[in-house]
Amino acid sequence: MINLILLFPLLACIILFIFKNKFLNNLMINLYAIIHFAVSLCFCLKKDFLPMWQPCKFFAVDSSNIIFLMVMSIVFLAVAIYNNGYVRAETELEKKLRHYTYMFLFFVFSMTGAILSTNLGITWVFIEGTTLASAYLIYFHKTKHSIEAAWKYVFICSIGIALAFVGIILLTVSTGNLNSLFYSDLYNNAPLFNPFWLKLSFVFILFGIGTKMGLAPVHFWLPDAHSEAPSPISALLSATLLNSAFLMILNVFRVMVLSGCDGYARIMLMTMGFLSLFITAVFVYHINNYKRMLAYSSIENMGILAIGTALGGVGMLAAMIHLIGHSLIKGAFFLTSGNVLEIYGTKKIKSVTGLLKTDRKTGWLWVLSFIGIGAFPPSVLFISEFLMVKTMFLKGHFVLSALFLLLLTIVIYGLGKAVIKMAFSAPQEGEVKKVSLPWTMYLPQAVILILAFIIGIYMPQGLTAMLLAAAAGF
Amino acid sequence: MENIFIILLGLSMIYIAATSRLAAHVNMLIIQGWLLFFVCLSGFEKEPWFNWAMISGPEAISANMPHIISFLFVIVETLIVKAFVIPLFLNKVLKRTNAHRDTEANVPHFYCLFISSVILFAGFLIANIDAPAFKLVSPMYFGVSIAIIITSLWLITIKHKVLSNVIGFITMENGIFLLSLSVAKEMPIIVNLGVLLDIFIAVFILGMLVREINNEFDDLEVSQLSDLKDYEYND
Repeated sequence: MINLILLFPLLACIILFIFKNKFLNNLMINLYAIIHFAVSLCFCLKKDFLPMWQPCKFFAVDSSNIIFLMVMSIVFLAVAIYNNGYVRAETELEKKLRHYTYMFLFFVFSMTGAILSTNLGITWVFIEGTTLASAYLIYFHKTKHSIEAAWKYVFICSIGIALAFVGIILLTVSTGNLNSLFYSDLYNNAPLFNPFWLKLSFVFILFGIGTKMGLAPVHFWLPDAHSEAPSPISALLSATLLNSAFLMILNVFRVMVLSGCDGYARIMLMTMGFLSLFITAVFVYHINNYKRMLAYSSIENMGILAIGTALGGVGMLAAMIHLIGHSLIKGAFFLTSGNVLEIYGTKKIKSVTGLLKTDRKTGWLWVLSFIGIGAFPPSVLFISEFLMVKTMFLKGHFVLSALFLLLLTIVIYGLGKAVIKMAFSAPQEGEVKKVSLPWTMYLPQAVILILAFIIGIYMPQGLTAMLLAAAAGF
Repeated sequence: MENIFIILLGLSMIYIAATSRLAAHVNMLIIQGWLLFFVCLSGFEKEPWFNWAMISGPEAISANMPHIISFLFVIVETLIVKAFVIPLFLNKVLKRTNAHRDTEANVPHFYCLFISSVILFAGFLIANIDAPAFKLVSPMYFGVSIAIIITSLWLITIKHKVLSNVIGFITMENGIFLLSLSVAKEMPIIVNLGVLLDIFIAVFILGMLVREINNEFDDLEVSQLSDLKDYEYND
């Protein structure tokens, strides 16, 4: 089944290349999304409908990447459905849309490869692949600002990823006689590794892949890229790309834990996590572009993931829950921001007034997404953040937990101020016009938001088991 | 023997730091590609996986095929990609964009020369650290490659033209390649392949973006690319 989701996009690109057809563009993205979703659902249910067709040894599903895969499938399905309406609204040339489709498929393909890969080197290659594929997508509108964003994105991320490769080389130095980069080999032999080189390699990998994941202080590409990309792409960038980078850090962190060097790694993760929270709290308050605001919120949430990983134990479990919640809600938030952009034609917070009166459905999706990302109780993020604070208390980090809560409060205030102003203020004179967007631009957000709220109230047994399996060993 | 080439690689970074003509930088990239090729060629005898018996007869060759393929691949990739494809592509971009010099650097040339020499010297010092952990790497490769990586990163921060940034990125990749040679065992071929592919495409995409920047903006200065800000709305 892994072969299916890895080979389908390549096949689809070939078909698109032969039959240049506008209808096929959307069809291929939707078909891939459905196949992706079906395959990862089968993996969750542990049913293999293609038992004869086993993948090569470089790709496999295990207890930790299955969650990432499932989250990615759900978000990708939502984005693909949304994309139908979005592309219809775009009045771009057909050739440009076809390139968009190629790159879209390639982007999702490389993220899937990065998540499923069982080899550190191959993961690295796929992570770099995501950068190159999404560069075009960010540059899609071909304006001065999108060039600037794409340039910063490719350049900063490429340098970060190159430094991560230095980390991988140093990791191979530390492995001594082991001549393999497979995660299973690394885990089995971790206690024998040379600690000096291992620690050095973790620094490089954390900073390098942390660039991709959007952790402060190496997050600079993120607000620009997220705000300039088309909204479906912003949703994918924020809800799936950052996760796939996080998975690589997590796998290397597991090596650190198994080799007994984790104390040092935890301090670094904790520092970067709190720095991310701090940076968001500083910037989010004054921001005047709502897509940038959401991008900063992604930095904040990645910081929370890093903090949860650093805490370990229940904190790791909380980080896993947070990952699911953040991806679902942030995906919905970014897609809704696409609606807002479609209606008002500007990304400026001040120019958007009376969203609820102009378009009721978009307005409520906007507010509900905020309630979700702000971790108000029915949202699943409430559970994860609560568990994290509880873990900090149990471990005696009282000052840190106070800081954590303070920074989160500032961030929620900053976000809430903008969201409430946009949604509930009175519309400007003469601007109340009824807008009707296609239903595909409402349904996906509504569904994934409802999903995030349902998990917040009732977590199915199977999901809990999966989360516990993924968080085990940290 | 290979130490001479490694030292020349280090010195080429000093030259790149001290000149402002972009064409000269591209020429240095070609030279670096050749030097890396010679380093590969002269250093492989010392690799632990290598012995001459491997190519003594057809059976030995077929038994050691993965090693030989991997080795040939590394050699060919360095020569073709690093010494020919990337510099040619950059030259084309240079011609199209009419960018000749990176003038008005933040740091005067004399200081560039001095600072990059100090970094290279520090690299040699690292190469002479006598600690048990350093037994796992070849010291000369390691020290000089660290010096190249640091010099490149520093050059990226002080240069003004976007093309200089791309050149800094490539020299950094060269440094990383040298670092990967310092490990006393071979990287799996699939990783090599992926790395090569990614670097090639990265340079390609960066080159395309340089062209787009050239079309869209008046000048290829990095300072043009600072319009997206947090507190001002200018979209």
